[in-house]
Amino acid sequence: MRAPPRRLWRLIMVGSEHIKMIPAPDKNIWSAEVNGAPVEVLVASNAILLDVLRDKVGTLGVKRGCDMGTCGCCTVMVDGAPRLSCLCLAGQVEGSEITTVEGLADGAHLAPIQSCFAEYGGSQCGFCTPGFLISAQALLNENDTPTEQEIACAIEGNLCRCTGYQQIIESIQGAAAIHRGEVAAAAPASDAHPDPHPDGPDEPNMPPGHAR
Amino acid sequence: MSGGYRQQPGGSGPTTRKDGKRVAGKQAFPPPGSGGSKPKMATRDLDFIPESVGGKEPQPAGSHIHDRVRTGTSVGKEMPLVDSNAKVTGQAWYGDDVRLPNEVIGKILRSPHHYARIKSIDTTRVEALPGVLAVATGADSPHRFGVLPVTKDEHAMAVEKVRHVGDLVACVAAIDESTALEALNLFDIEWEILEPVFDPKKGLEDADEPIHWRGKYHLAKTNVQKRVFQEFGDRSLVEKPHAESHGKWKMAGVHHGFTEPHAVVAHWDPNGRLQLYTPQQVPHYTHRALSTVLDVPMHQINVIRTFVGGGFGGKSDPFPHEMCAAILSRKSGRPVRITFDREEVYWINRGRHPSHIEVKMTADEDARISGFDIDALIDGGGFASFGHVTSYYNGVLATAPYELGSFHYTGARVWTNKPASGAMRGHGAVNTRCAVEVGLDEMAETMQVDPIDLRLANLLPPHSRTISGFRITSNGMREALEKVRTGSNWDEKFRKLPLGKGIGIGCGFFISGSGLPIHWDPNRFPHATVHMQVDMDGGVTVHTGAADIGQGSTTAVAQVVSEVLALPIEMIHVRSHESDTSPVDLGSYSSRVTFMNANAAIRAALEIREQLLNAAWEMLGYHPNNLVLNDRRIYYKHDPAVGVSYLKALHKAQEDKGALIASGAYRSPPMGGVHKGAAAGLAPAYSFSAYVAEVDVDVETGIIRCTNVWAAHDCGKALNPLAVKGQIIGSCHMGLGQVLSEQMVYGRTGHLQNANLLDYKIPSVHEMPHVEPIIIESCDPEGPFGAKEAGEGPLLPILPAVVNAV
Repeated sequence: MRAPPRRLWRLIMVGSEHIKMIPAPDKNIWSAEVNGAPVEVLVASNAILLDVLRDKVGTLGVKRGCDMGTCGCCTVMVDGAPRLSCLCLAGQVEGSEITTVEGLADGAHLAPIQSCFAEYGGSQCGFCTPGFLISAQALLNENDTPTEQEIACAIEGNLCRCTGYQQIIESIQGAAAIHRGEVAAAAPASDAHPDPHPDGPDEPNMPPGHAR
Repeated sequence: MSGGYRQQPGGSGPTTRKDGKRVAGKQAFPPPGSGGSKPKMATRDLDFIPESVGGKEPQPAGSHIHDRVRTGTSVGKEMPLVDSNAKVTGQAWYGDDVRLPNEVIGKILRSPHHYARIKSIDTTRVEALPGVLAVATGADSPHRFGVLPVTKDEHAMAVEKVRHVGDLVACVAAIDESTALEALNLFDIEWEILEPVFDPKKGLEDADEPIHWRGKYHLAKTNVQKRVFQEFGDRSLVEKPHAESHGKWKMAGVHHGFTEPHAVVAHWDPNGRLQLYTPQQVPHYTHRALSTVLDVPMHQINVIRTFVGGGFGGKSDPFPHEMCAAILSRKSGRPVRITFDREEVYWINRGRHPSHIEVKMTADEDARISGFDIDALIDGGGFASFGHVTSYYNGVLATAPYELGSFHYTGARVWTNKPASGAMRGHGAVNTRCAVEVGLDEMAETMQVDPIDLRLANLLPPHSRTISGFRITSNGMREALEKVRTGSNWDEKFRKLPLGKGIGIGCGFFISGSGLPIHWDPNRFPHATVHMQVDMDGGVTVHTGAADIGQGSTTAVAQVVSEVLALPIEMIHVRSHESDTSPVDLGSYSSRVTFMNANAAIRAALEIREQLLNAAWEMLGYHPNNLVLNDRRIYYKHDPAVGVSYLKALHKAQEDKGALIASGAYRSPPMGGVHKGAAAGLAPAYSFSAYVAEVDVDVETGIIRCTNVWAAHDCGKALNPLAVKGQIIGSCHMGLGQVLSEQMVYGRTGHLQNANLLDYKIPSVHEMPHVEPIIIESCDPEGPFGAKEAGEGPLLPILPAVVNAV
């Protein structure tokens, strides 16, 4: 027979008295699929998804900006839909598929949205970027020909203090073009270089003036 | 010849198989200069080599001393930030992302009172709580610190009295966050409530208990922290004005609103050295302050700047919570992490000063400005912070870009019982600039002239001096005004738009790097130093203390090095995170990084370049003057086939001394006058900008919507146009926030009422107008490749442009 779960009593202040009041929350195994990998961690029943992802799962790319759903830095994709992880109990999304910014890239291949944010200057200080990437990716998954208005509506829940949004919108449009197949995606930065020997022949065996 | 080289082993057979793969043992040797990620030497990009040295890059503003070292590699090209891949993959480590093994959580007890004396603090109950590892109070931090050496008035935790709600009282470190929060409830503190001051006007009067006391230097018993009085020019000019305007402004405080809350991790390593991880714009100030507060020499402290999630001036003070983390870590023997929630960010503040500004200005018959008379009363909050400088900037940064007949400025900064104000993008200049520009429009109205014409008629020319003695070098103001005038179709729109629509102009002027390094004499030590090392692999490691806060300073430094040495930018590795490895640097404030650090980097790179060319001279027999440095290859000017690869030249240069090392420094030329406060606002160069804004006003509700902005900014030379445009648009965003929606609201009882991002209205994507960034290149004679700042200046003109449009 399983022993009843041990309850930790929490101390709280009532007036000037310091008394044992509320039992600490139960801890349960929480399981979900984060970035394609199954995750099982022990979390309190009132744990916030953001805390679980940052402190237990270790996806530190999910940022904490405001804790009240105003900045959008903590946006993650839950079963394909963007969601603010600071306003979401871990228990609410138990068993679902969660994608954070770490899960956008396919191995070394950056997702189009990621390479475009770099290329078009959509990221300056980069703190809000993970949230923007998730919101934008969720939009692009459904719509690869978004208008400027649709993009604005998709990222309206995200605050950016550096870029003034204009270059973010350009980045998303650039990524949409890659999604449509109009533009080729960039090669991963960690690909083997075509010539791994930087010290090539130093003296060209060519007559003067024959240079290419 | 079959395309191969003599070195090729195994004769001259084909080097590739039918399936396209390389034949074993055969190297598909690319043409000379091979290496790096691109096997072929790039041709010289003449589009990015200035005309003066034989390229095709137009130079309307003339040639520059750095032109001869341009190689067309990266300056002037749109480049993604070098750290952007870390940012888009979530691997950039910000303050709260530093997780050390065995870490504990620190929490800060904050004052519930505006102004109160701490009679006693009893921590016995806190220490008794299981899970609490360390407790610290003001008694553990008796030393004062402050960002400016002249105004050190902060303690890590309140020593005698708290000066605003949210002031630090004590801190605890505990095994987890809930225990730490719980422990905060267990402090027994006896308070003696004092009479608080909220209105800066009241701060001018004598108080029973001034917020700070400076002994015999204190001004009576007031709360005045700094008074400034300046007068230049001929004041008789203003006696009979042809036109005048008089504006009275009350500006609310605004906050930087960076998305990353402050966070810090402190760790005393086993050797007794403090390792402090903090998102800081100016790690060096923190370094100094830590040394003072902890009574530890500076060389026993390593300040590690994490990625900074937005600074805008708000992360440039040494902060008390950084000291708290270090104290707690010292007491508990474990790494301590303190992360702020959003409310705490507002308690620490350092945002723009709330201020009362009065501007009187006059013009003579020829519509020339005969006088500015500015009075600024600024509300500093509980501490001095950068306030000493702000008091000057409110006046002196209004003296340009116009030629004035006379200038009169009185300013005062007072302490009040609010969170301290400090430096924020456009430090000190924004509020007065808005008042001045709107005043100019008023005068234009009375004189019935076009406001752009009025401004054009009064501009200072390039290479001139402002009335307060600032040395103006390059000046693209005229071009900027003309560009926005044509760009916005001003002549067709101004005074001709229907009711509810408007168009307005604003100009800006800002320093490009403060001429005075705060902590030392500029004549003795340089402003910025950059170290550079090139090892056998050919990669260049650059050590600089420039703090990248998202503006792309790391990229700028990498770019100039890449330009001078003609190496692809991925071969330049900038190391700027640790104070152990980077030379002392004043960090990112006053828009100094691009100007000063890039200049220092150029100097170091030139030294490396010289060594490479000398080695090539020895190998080729041609004097360096006749050698061309191009993409990973050095060759004879008149015959590109005669040359050596970069690596061969490098190895030759290394034969005697191993790795090539160079150090470059930047110091500003002697400038400025001798009057009191002459150093405030001095800079080796100044940036100029002119914006036109178009607004829609709902005449019934009064809702203002900015629809279009034409933003011309003179940044000297755009090293990276992508980043410059980003800065211009971002500045518009921040400025629009201040002028239309953002405000720190203090209630009747002096409480800050909107200490969160829901009630503090930062414009979202829907509020952003379309911004047309226009880059003006005036080629500053002292800037790196002609560059000046582009980070703060672009913010100034958007406020008056919108106000004038309304």
